[in-house]
Amino acid sequence: MSDAHAYPHEPTGVETRKLGFWVFLSTEILFFGTLITTFLIFKGRDFPGIKLTDVYDIPFTSVSSFVLLMSSLTMVLAHNALETDDQEKTRVWLLATAMLGAVFLAGQIYEFTEFYHKGFELSTNIFSSTFYVLTGFHGLHVFIGVVLLLALWGIGQRQKGLSLNDGMNLEFIALYWHFVDIVWIVLFTVVYLI
Amino acid sequence: MSETHKEHPSPTKYVQIAIVLAILTAIEVALYYTEDIVGALAPPLLIILAIGKFVIVVGWFMHLRYENSLVNKFFAGGMILALILFAIVMIERAVGNFF
Amino acid sequence: MTKIIQPKKQRNIFSRPSAEEGVWSWITTVDHKRIGIMYGYAAFFFLLVGGLEALLLRIQLSQPDNNFLSAAEYNAMFTMHGTTMIFLAIMPISAAFFNYLLPLQIGARDVAFPRLNALSFWIFIAGGLFLYSTFLFGTAGAPEGGYLAEEVSRLASAPNGGWFGYQPNAGLKYSPGTAMDYWAIGLQILGIASLVSAFNFITTILNMRTKGMRLMRMPVFTWMTFAVSFLLAFSLPIIAIALFFVTFDRQFGTTFFLTEGGGDPVLWQHLFWLFGHPEVYILILPAFGIVSEVLPTFSRKPLFGYPAIVFAGFGIAFIGFGVWAHHMFASAISPVAQAGFGLSTMIIAVPTGVKIFNWLGTIWGGKLTLNTPMLFALGFIGMFVIGGLSGVTHSVVPADTQQTDTYYIVAHFHYVLFGGALFGIFSGLYFWFPKVWGKMYNETMGKIHFWLMIIGFNLTFGPMHWLGLQGQVRRTWVYAEETNLGFWNLIVTIGAFILAVATLVFMANWMYSRRKGEVAPFDPWDARTIEWSIPSPTPVWNFSKAPEVKSLDDFWHQKYGEDEDGRALKREGTDELLAQLEDEGLNPKEEIHLPSPSYFPIIMAFGLPFIGYAVIYKSIPLALIGVILLLIGGFGWGTEPLEEEFESSEEEKPYMEKPQNYE
Repeated sequence: MSDAHAYPHEPTGVETRKLGFWVFLSTEILFFGTLITTFLIFKGRDFPGIKLTDVYDIPFTSVSSFVLLMSSLTMVLAHNALETDDQEKTRVWLLATAMLGAVFLAGQIYEFTEFYHKGFELSTNIFSSTFYVLTGFHGLHVFIGVVLLLALWGIGQRQKGLSLNDGMNLEFIALYWHFVDIVWIVLFTVVYLI
Repeated sequence: MSETHKEHPSPTKYVQIAIVLAILTAIEVALYYTEDIVGALAPPLLIILAIGKFVIVVGWFMHLRYENSLVNKFFAGGMILALILFAIVMIERAVGNFF
Repeated sequence: MTKIIQPKKQRNIFSRPSAEEGVWSWITTVDHKRIGIMYGYAAFFFLLVGGLEALLLRIQLSQPDNNFLSAAEYNAMFTMHGTTMIFLAIMPISAAFFNYLLPLQIGARDVAFPRLNALSFWIFIAGGLFLYSTFLFGTAGAPEGGYLAEEVSRLASAPNGGWFGYQPNAGLKYSPGTAMDYWAIGLQILGIASLVSAFNFITTILNMRTKGMRLMRMPVFTWMTFAVSFLLAFSLPIIAIALFFVTFDRQFGTTFFLTEGGGDPVLWQHLFWLFGHPEVYILILPAFGIVSEVLPTFSRKPLFGYPAIVFAGFGIAFIGFGVWAHHMFASAISPVAQAGFGLSTMIIAVPTGVKIFNWLGTIWGGKLTLNTPMLFALGFIGMFVIGGLSGVTHSVVPADTQQTDTYYIVAHFHYVLFGGALFGIFSGLYFWFPKVWGKMYNETMGKIHFWLMIIGFNLTFGPMHWLGLQGQVRRTWVYAEETNLGFWNLIVTIGAFILAVATLVFMANWMYSRRKGEVAPFDPWDARTIEWSIPSPTPVWNFSKAPEVKSLDDFWHQKYGEDEDGRALKREGTDELLAQLEDEGLNPKEEIHLPSPSYFPIIMAFGLPFIGYAVIYKSIPLALIGVILLLIGGFGWGTEPLEEEFESSEEEKPYMEKPQNYE
């Protein structure tokens, strides 16, 4: 922070930026909570029209879910690699995470395109609206995560690789990525399976 | 990185955790397909499995298990608040007209 | 002589801004004090705009069957009045106080994330300008079959669905045109500003406190900042989603709130008030904090029951999340829900009452100085209690069914928001005026301001209690002669103009005192908390060295001990101490490192309105510009260090004898 040497700080014992980041993640709980609540409110309602259950493909989505879950593994391995100062491995795992995230997104796009062709569009009815907005915001978060991961990977490509400060950034991107994953864990269950 | 070195699981441990997560996901999907047999048990079981995966990722991958309790409290606080508020809204919208 | 390190290295094409004077230095500043000052002026400007909107409303209502404003214009004016006062005036003025005072009260040099702080401010400006650009570009069409005139004037081409945007009235069918989109997207942008501030302040309070500044030694104003930050952090995400739903319903054909598509209008009310109720505590808690600083200072007594006031503040914040549906008693929710929320609303009166009694306990037996800040603080207690009493009557569900949508409610919330929040804010503006500007305000003009304001205020909002109970309905542009409401409505309008005059007196005092006011000593009030132990105006580095705090009201205890009766006794050596503090405060001995200024917050902030316009006008180019600005801002920020690495300059830069003035 400002005065490295003179000024006291961190009486909580938690690094300042990390603390700030967890506060941010706590607010994201309210953000996705509202989306999920809205979805659930309408889910069982008696209203005519096409429903998600008419168009979805559980095997496909299961594979997508698995991909995203594994990206959390590669993310944590990237973090681990940087902690042990293995720049090469860090870059590999970062890229792997970004790629897995991109595969997940590709899967979502494919899925949504299929749904559209079957007549399940954003504005078709309340079931489709809630579905697309909920999974869409999640997808947007994944997209932002992929961009951040690629950016960090790009920075790591330089001669000197990732510095300690970049390491802190990696930790935050990792926290963000895992959060996006746990949102999907909830979404997959609540939207598709139940 | 962190000034104080916190315990970190090793890469092997992480892979093991990932395998557990994969298995839980497989069980969830199996539950979906065997819904006729499992019947009304399916939703609660699915929820429990999802909570399990949630806790594992938050606790180990996101490190919350090893972090300062302050950070734990924020996350838990946010979750509890969300659960209570949204439960009230969902109940009100679902049964409101009956009471 | 102080060595202030200046950035010397040029890292990339665009060198880090380093101006200390002039417009550019304000645009790129990350200094919490400057950000606070900018918030204050911008918010005050919007307060005047909101006030003007109110005066237009009052002229229209001064007589029955009036047509000074058309119905369409009236709807736009009351919507913009509410939206402006809440989001563009009171919240940002509170932000001004938080920004300026928080680091000073906890002994820090700046907030945890200085650039994020600047971002909050510039997003607020971007959002406010975006919202108000509705008067230039917005359209408010007439719904089919409606009675509004086809030709809609510029004054009416603004959001007109109320500050609460109830659906489906504020949806596309009944509010065609783009005005309500300006509302939804404008509020969305403004919400981001406050949310980001919340992260900053929570982290700052937890992690930037100086040595010895334990949580239970923090000033009450700091505690209230903490509570407000939690309220913001947890309520804003909910309305963010709700506003996305509205925008999607209006722009992308979804049906979240439209029954024709299976949607649910009451859902909007739940989501809006889940935010909206915590919002009103966000509006009032800062004033609670200010008053908790002012009363002890001018009673020369410690705050009565400090722990109770702190816990009550959090109690209010927490319970505040559980009362939202009391705004929905008349919206066909079940009796069980009504009873539950009626009960929780009654319960929230308890911690509020605790605070009132503690404030009274503070004044009781004290040696009062009835200067302007104190008068406003005392006025606050009186007016807020009246507002609170009418509030408690709303918690009785059957009574509320009579009161709702009448001027009785308007009276209630103006007593708590104007008589409460705004009086508290004026108290704070006078109280900390010497600290910020190094000058004293004119006490006579201050008193004139107070008396004009309290008389005008009661004339304006007092009669609304009985006007409401007699049946005058809210949000209605005209009332008929036969209702016999004309006399008191005229009194109300006269009161409103008295308020306008009072405000002019305040502005005159401010401008005069900044130029010609007496130079202020750094501790003009013989105050209690550590922000008064540094020079006035505050030096850019705040504290020359990190203060070490040994108790609550640390500065007071440095100056005063106690005699055998427990009364304050000035310590020997206090005068020398004060002289020493002033000298040290102006001449730091150590190297001072300050966070360096940055362009990137303002660049990012102005990306948001572009995206807003892109959504309304379906323009991909505009969206791209917005996204690019966000990306440039984001990446630039992410790759620049908080403090530039620097080489020591060859010559020691002599610092001024007196600290910087914010001219």
